[in-house]
Amino acid sequence: MYNANVSGAMNNQTNEREKPTAVRLAEGGRSRITDREQERELVQAVQRGTLGASHEIYEAYREQIFNLSLYMIGDASQAQDVVQTVFLKVFRGLARFRFQSSLRTWIYRIAHNECQDYHRRQRISHVPLEAILGSSDEIDTKPNSDALHGRRERELIIQQAVMQLPLKMREVIVLKYVEGFSYEEMGKVLRCSAGTVASRLNRALVELEERLRPFRRVL
Amino acid sequence: MVPYIEGELEAHDVSRIEQHLLDCGWCRELLLRLRAGHQMAQNLPHFMPGAPHQPQLEALMAVAAPSAPMHHERAPLWEGWLGRVSTPRMVTALAVLVLIQATFLLVSNRGYVFGKRSGAAIKLSALDLKEFRQLSIPELKSNTQPHVATDGFVRDVHTDEEEGTVAFKLVDSEHSSGSFVVCEIMNPIHMPAPAEGSHVRVYGVARYDAQTDRKWNEVNPVLNISVLKR
Repeated sequence: MYNANVSGAMNNQTNEREKPTAVRLAEGGRSRITDREQERELVQAVQRGTLGASHEIYEAYREQIFNLSLYMIGDASQAQDVVQTVFLKVFRGLARFRFQSSLRTWIYRIAHNECQDYHRRQRISHVPLEAILGSSDEIDTKPNSDALHGRRERELIIQQAVMQLPLKMREVIVLKYVEGFSYEEMGKVLRCSAGTVASRLNRALVELEERLRPFRRVL
Repeated sequence: MVPYIEGELEAHDVSRIEQHLLDCGWCRELLLRLRAGHQMAQNLPHFMPGAPHQPQLEALMAVAAPSAPMHHERAPLWEGWLGRVSTPRMVTALAVLVLIQATFLLVSNRGYVFGKRSGAAIKLSALDLKEFRQLSIPELKSNTQPHVATDGFVRDVHTDEEEGTVAFKLVDSEHSSGSFVVCEIMNPIHMPAPAEGSHVRVYGVARYDAQTDRKWNEVNPVLNISVLKR
């Protein structure tokens, strides 16, 4: 959801001579930069030193990068730190950005590298799914008072199963099913062929199905 | 298979897959598992980040100033040409072809070994070489046939153990940087990586990567390699 308070604060700092390009709000209030020309205008505005343009880029991608980071890292607080680091690198690098790829691809690629670095530093070990959620029998006996509770529980189970996947499998699942990337776009972010992406996604889905099979009764 | 599950394939590709599924129990089982995984993955929740800490946000924005470039993007093992994707149509066609080609050869040649949880590994015992149109590397540019065989010298072999892929360049001439084609061996097809500098004949599916910074011919997936001369 677009944060009006932050936007209001940042607009006060806008350079009056150079108004930032208007942010487009998609359904649900989430800002999106969907047009390559709009991307180019925003980047050039940042390169001219327009603070409002920087904010638009931040707001356009913050939520998406947070989601990717959260799924890759598993901790909201650490994911927020990764988001900050990603955008620090984005804003430092925008001065020399030459549109050899789209802005979106470039930002996601930075996030992908940052998450990989995080894992190398942290050497995170994974806990078995049953240790987090209990066995499927235990889930069955928990009070399930309403549809919303049931839906959240299903989402939690699926989310945790995805968090258990190897990083490369997890990433293609998140990029496709949470971020809505095409095979082509995933290939650009991950620097691999569409065929590799397709193969990896197939293996990830089979792996996910196998991990969730004990919980199929509640899904 | 995911494009098939999502109904994104064209009619003739759907027909080919469904005809194959009539005869292949392994693929039918795979499809069931993929469909289940796909349906579950569609329920992944989307999270909202908390409100940014204002002083930190302002500090980030203040960084947006010309500075020395940061090499935050890792240089790939191969600079420039490796591992780029094709047009969306080629992507879906490739996904279909990988499965159909591998399982067609599996069924027709009976040369396969099934793995366990990690999925099936496919060993190709024989190919009908008459299927493959013999072309030189420069001739690939005007090729319209799906199955080709081409000769060349192996350069820049790159193996990704985790992905189970091997990619290499096949160049026209041993001693000069002339025409080339990018070749990729991918799961579930397994074969040894060709030796650097070896003279080989590569059999596989012909593609063209039309991305702006690529524009090269590919043999992807590679279905067989025969060594001509070391």
